[in-house]
Amino acid sequence: MRTTVPVAIAFVSGIIMLVSFFFRTEDNVFGDASQQLLIWSSIIGGFSFLLGAISIVRVNWRNVRLKKSGWGYNLLTVLAVFAMLVPALIKKGWLPESMAHLAGRDAGSIYDWIFIYVATPMSQTMFAVLAFYIASAAYRAFRARSAEATLLLITASLVMLWRVPMGEALLNSIHPGLPGWINTYVMSGINLSVQRGILLGAALGAASFSLRILLGIERTYMGRG
Amino acid sequence: MSFWDRISRLDRRWIYLLVWLTVITPLFLPATFPISVTPEARQLYDAVQALPDSCVVLLTFDTYPNALAETEPMARAALHHLFRKHIRVVTLTTIPLGGPSIAERVTRELAATYRKTYGVDFVNLGYKPNYVSVLKGLGTSIESIYPTDNSGTPLAQLPLMQNVKSYSDMKFIFVVTDNGIIDYWISIVNAQFKIPVGAGVTAVMAPKQYAYVGSGQMTGLLGGMKGAAEYEELVDKHALATRGMGIQSLIHILLIVLIGIGNLAYFMGRRKRGAA
Amino acid sequence: MATPRAKRDPILPAWRTALYALALMAVDAGVVAAQDQPATAEPLFRVDRINALIAILVFGTAVTLYTRWAKQGKPLYIRKLAGLDAIEEAVGRATEMGKPVLFIPGLQELDEIETIAGVSILGRVARITAQYETPLIVPVRYPLVLAAGQEVVEQAYREMGRSDAYNKDTVRYVAGDQMAFAATVNGMLMREKPAANIYMGAFFAESLVIAETGNAAGSIQIAGTARPEQLPFFIAACDYTLMGEELYAASAYLSHEPMLLGGLKGQDLFKILLVLVIIVGIVLMMFGAADTFLSWFTIT
Repeated sequence: MRTTVPVAIAFVSGIIMLVSFFFRTEDNVFGDASQQLLIWSSIIGGFSFLLGAISIVRVNWRNVRLKKSGWGYNLLTVLAVFAMLVPALIKKGWLPESMAHLAGRDAGSIYDWIFIYVATPMSQTMFAVLAFYIASAAYRAFRARSAEATLLLITASLVMLWRVPMGEALLNSIHPGLPGWINTYVMSGINLSVQRGILLGAALGAASFSLRILLGIERTYMGRG
Repeated sequence: MSFWDRISRLDRRWIYLLVWLTVITPLFLPATFPISVTPEARQLYDAVQALPDSCVVLLTFDTYPNALAETEPMARAALHHLFRKHIRVVTLTTIPLGGPSIAERVTRELAATYRKTYGVDFVNLGYKPNYVSVLKGLGTSIESIYPTDNSGTPLAQLPLMQNVKSYSDMKFIFVVTDNGIIDYWISIVNAQFKIPVGAGVTAVMAPKQYAYVGSGQMTGLLGGMKGAAEYEELVDKHALATRGMGIQSLIHILLIVLIGIGNLAYFMGRRKRGAA
Repeated sequence: MATPRAKRDPILPAWRTALYALALMAVDAGVVAAQDQPATAEPLFRVDRINALIAILVFGTAVTLYTRWAKQGKPLYIRKLAGLDAIEEAVGRATEMGKPVLFIPGLQELDEIETIAGVSILGRVARITAQYETPLIVPVRYPLVLAAGQEVVEQAYREMGRSDAYNKDTVRYVAGDQMAFAATVNGMLMREKPAANIYMGAFFAESLVIAETGNAAGSIQIAGTARPEQLPFFIAACDYTLMGEELYAASAYLSHEPMLLGGLKGQDLFKILLVLVIIVGIVLMMFGAADTFLSWFTIT
């Protein structure tokens, strides 16, 4: 039962979506059914955020209770969850008029303020860390260990030079046609064909995996089989 | 451990320090560089340039706040071009975290410069969840997906939206994104509704998009901050991306030098071990 | 007289749209001209998409055929995937060191097929950790992935007879924001120092942020993604990387189930057909005779 019902749901839903691709969907059962499925998936997704909130609070609060190492950070996480959640849930009408703008998620609200001035800069900082990590990973891993690796290294260096004005000036001084050659042959030639190869392979892999799910052969995503 | 072995296994914190110094130096010594334009950026510019004045273009802000250094200059340069041509702009986002407010802030700022009126010359539709349904649904009826704009005003009250009911009323889609949503703009919107799509994407995403440009599914491409600088050059509005080219140039050169040193150390160490 | 084009109204059924068009014309001119026709209802089946239907049928037949052969016990050769063979070894190392295994099923929603593939592999990994009694940590970004992950891991522990060792917080939701997720995982990597990190699914800019920290923490790292743009980062920072379709093949490969392996062979057959089509297309294009051939592969 725990396997048959989900497999049946996956089969029926998948077939409805597949069939709706081959039939005109305006004002008929195919369109209505597929649209309903999309709406249901959106609603279930919305409710599932409650699960996420419960999980994050439970895991962190347990660490606070047990005073595990770094429990202060766990406490901060729990407080941050409520600092974002509570002001966003408060209705404007519940507050006096002078404070109404602080409620909800509009511009000027507490939620908006925390998002713009706390969450966004922190997120951008983490993204910026990427520059440091790319440098250290490239230094460690980019070694000419074989003929293929050497070819890759030379190509990567040329592309890196080509993508910036200083590097492009350098390439131009070697040969004026070099930057154009990199764009035509490396990016629009070799790169394009490799990308297409990977994309086609991955798309077929995804299609095969989907088909296995639809037919109920692949049940490993439910922990079965 | 020999000198070359030590260099080969250099503590990554030294590399971090070098990167940090390379990033901050151009801030104190600002310099401008001539920007060359790639054929892909030129194609995007030409496509927008060829649009009739006063037509409607969809500009998307499918970007998280963390990638704004690359994506915001693209959106700004695009808006300069669109507003200058008196093209009417509809914006939307598929990103809940920050997307709507970024679109609101950038569009209103540029619109004020060109004296454009909200609701007449531009509209911000904001965010709706489940992007696959949104992208599909807009092909049939914008109003069914977005009954109101980002501020909650019904579309029926916005003059611009009286003549814009679906993709068929738009001439072009300019996607600015930092994530895989671009695949859906191509596979759903361009493929099924036959509307031309041009894109500005982050540098790391750009190589993959060449496959779409090559097949004609994408009309022009801007890759990363360099792509944004190219569009700034094309619309003659040198701003954030052009200024960032100094830092990016130095960082790329630093990376090449580091890779060179790493390889030198690797070969010297190997030769020494071979000799021993 | 203006001739209004009778567009299908998305709200009204077909017959009402036709009447609506007629009424509009009548109001417009007072007379309905003989040449003005009501909107002709388009056929329900999209004939223009029949090429896609044929492709799906061929693909489905290839997969079903090989699956049947596999069921009948016909031997199927699948090449070795070093990254997947290394998983058991990596968990064994974690057991010896008394350290946990960290698994991330990507950073996309459950409706992304890459995430489902990641969750499938999680089930296999959970069986091994249950068998070796090795702690498992699974941070996730979306609540639906949390629910699916918990179900899969619990089932794996149950099947291995280790329900007692299952901890509901093995799979945990950490953050919805991409970089907040990366920051939390980096914290886990530096504090818990897992012996093995396995990344399977859809990854974005955070791929290197996480993998490089895992490398600094000294973990064995195995990654798999179908995102070409993230592959270079994983290759640079991880010990093994599964590329593109290898990710989708992983659950079949790990399960050693003939029926799943049959699906892979069917996929290979279709790929060979695709390569042949591409070659034919190139040849025809060289002779300037590819127009009709190309139109067979255009989906409207």
